Amino acid sequence: MTTACRGCILLAPMSKTITELSAHLAPELLDLAGSMLAEIRADRSQLPVLFPGLPRRFGRDAKTGGRVAIGPGTVELRAFRTCDLAAAFLLLSCHATDAELWDLYAHGDIEERAMLLRSLHFLPLGPATVRLLGEVQRTNVVLHFEAALCDSDLLARTVGQPGLDQAGANKLLLKLAFLDLPLHRVLAAERHANPDLSRMLQDLATEREAAGRAVWRDTWRLIGMSPTAGTAARLVGGLEHGDDGVRAAAAEGLLALNRKDLRPFAAERLPREPRAEIRAQLQNLVQRLAT
Amino acid sequence: MLIFEPHIHMFSRITDDYERLCLAGVRAVLEPAFWLGQNRTSVGTFVDYFETLVGWEHFRAQQFGIHHFCTMALNPREANDERVNKDVLAILPRYCEKDSCVGIGEIGLDDQTPTEEKFMSLQLELARRHKLPVLVHTPHRDKKRGFERCIAIIKESGFPMERVLLDHGNEETIKLTRNLGCWSGFSIYPNTKMDPARMVSIVLEYGVDHMIVNSAADWGVSDPLMVPRTVAKLEQALVPREAIEQLVWKNPIGFFAQSGRLNETMLLKPARANLRETFEGNSVLRGQDPDRA
Repeated sequence: MTTACRGCILLAPMSKTITELSAHLAPELLDLAGSMLAEIRADRSQLPVLFPGLPRRFGRDAKTGGRVAIGPGTVELRAFRTCDLAAAFLLLSCHATDAELWDLYAHGDIEERAMLLRSLHFLPLGPATVRLLGEVQRTNVVLHFEAALCDSDLLARTVGQPGLDQAGANKLLLKLAFLDLPLHRVLAAERHANPDLSRMLQDLATEREAAGRAVWRDTWRLIGMSPTAGTAARLVGGLEHGDDGVRAAAAEGLLALNRKDLRPFAAERLPREPRAEIRAQLQNLVQRLAT
Repeated sequence: MLIFEPHIHMFSRITDDYERLCLAGVRAVLEPAFWLGQNRTSVGTFVDYFETLVGWEHFRAQQFGIHHFCTMALNPREANDERVNKDVLAILPRYCEKDSCVGIGEIGLDDQTPTEEKFMSLQLELARRHKLPVLVHTPHRDKKRGFERCIAIIKESGFPMERVLLDHGNEETIKLTRNLGCWSGFSIYPNTKMDPARMVSIVLEYGVDHMIVNSAADWGVSDPLMVPRTVAKLEQALVPREAIEQLVWKNPIGFFAQSGRLNETMLLKPARANLRETFEGNSVLRGQDPDRA
């Protein structure tokens, strides 16, 4: 579509994603983006020169708003900053190549890398997406892992692209557990529940327990969706855990597992459960398994 | 008293130095890109060095509560090296835009060759394009003439003097710089350059307006605590506290704030020191408990 919005003359014809991103940038920032884009179009080597200054020029303030569809995916808007959206806007508008995206990551400081990784949520899927997800799978910078994996459905959309199969997605979700980041921050992650992921999560849980360390609470939630050997026992055991979050997740996991033979364990726990919200979960579970 | 150390090469220093700097009141350091003691043979090693300045070294300083800034440049010594000089200039623009880069430097003259002069001029142009102040290294040999030549090159370029810090000055060079509108830097050293007592004399004679002191500590025999030591000497000489604060805090901030990338308010709190964090998996700790270190 063609548009004549402020600062966007250079952007015509605009893609749907660019149009939607524009809606989240103030008019004066669109003017600024338009002038930067003109510089990049006139001299491609300006892209890596202009990119580091985006937080200074567009601002680091977090956007307000909840879950929204922008372009190819869905994001939790409040997790993104103005400069992240500006970066995505520029990279899309100048049709940044895979090589350019990689170069920006490779030579970026911590903040630039985070900004580039947040831009991925709005860019077309491609080899750079897969390569950068591979990078964050190995990173120790939690900020970068969050920037690439969390607060959008990027993972769900990328699985199946050349270079990222289910085994690759499993590694990323295992890292999510390793870093103790909540499952709900990876939108549509439950689509990727599978027995091998359950095995990996259960092994990690056993290892953590042996070391006297806390286990990722979402383990109980996720393994119930795709059981493997030992899943049922771990879920039933979870109902007796001292941590409220684990008991709630175990009740959810049992609901997903949907095994009627496990109903007695839930029924037996129900009158002893001290937390009202978990009692309600157990009540629902007992009823569901009875039918 | 808070101190902004405006010229120190922490790349060459150890964690004890960071700890001592912190204890002595140094809240922020400025690390100019410089010569590493031997010439580099390819541009790739400059890329790695520049990325260390905005990456690992920045992180390392933060672990001691110290804000870390840098200036980027092809130093005058390696400006003479045809293996790297043109290529370094080509890769510099992206590093000039890094958030923690607040100037261009060290540029200037060392052996006072025509090639050094050419690359100094080119980098003044770079500073102009990126709207950054410049930190000028002046020669240690034939210093007065070197100062005069640096000043001439800056004037020829039309670069605003207010955005120039002429460093490594002494009793002779202050006579050249004090009325130029530029900033005059003094490196306080244990044996060479300036010492704290001589610096006191200069302050008593010329005041502190547009004056900056630093340790220029590097891989050689040098002392990162030279600015706090100079503060002590100035106090003993009964220089008013406000003047000392201007010299070691407000002046360096004022000069580098011309980049638009730092201000006094952001330095009033210590840098975030979370010893549980790592940088690409690396920590400054060696077996210590992060909560007790």
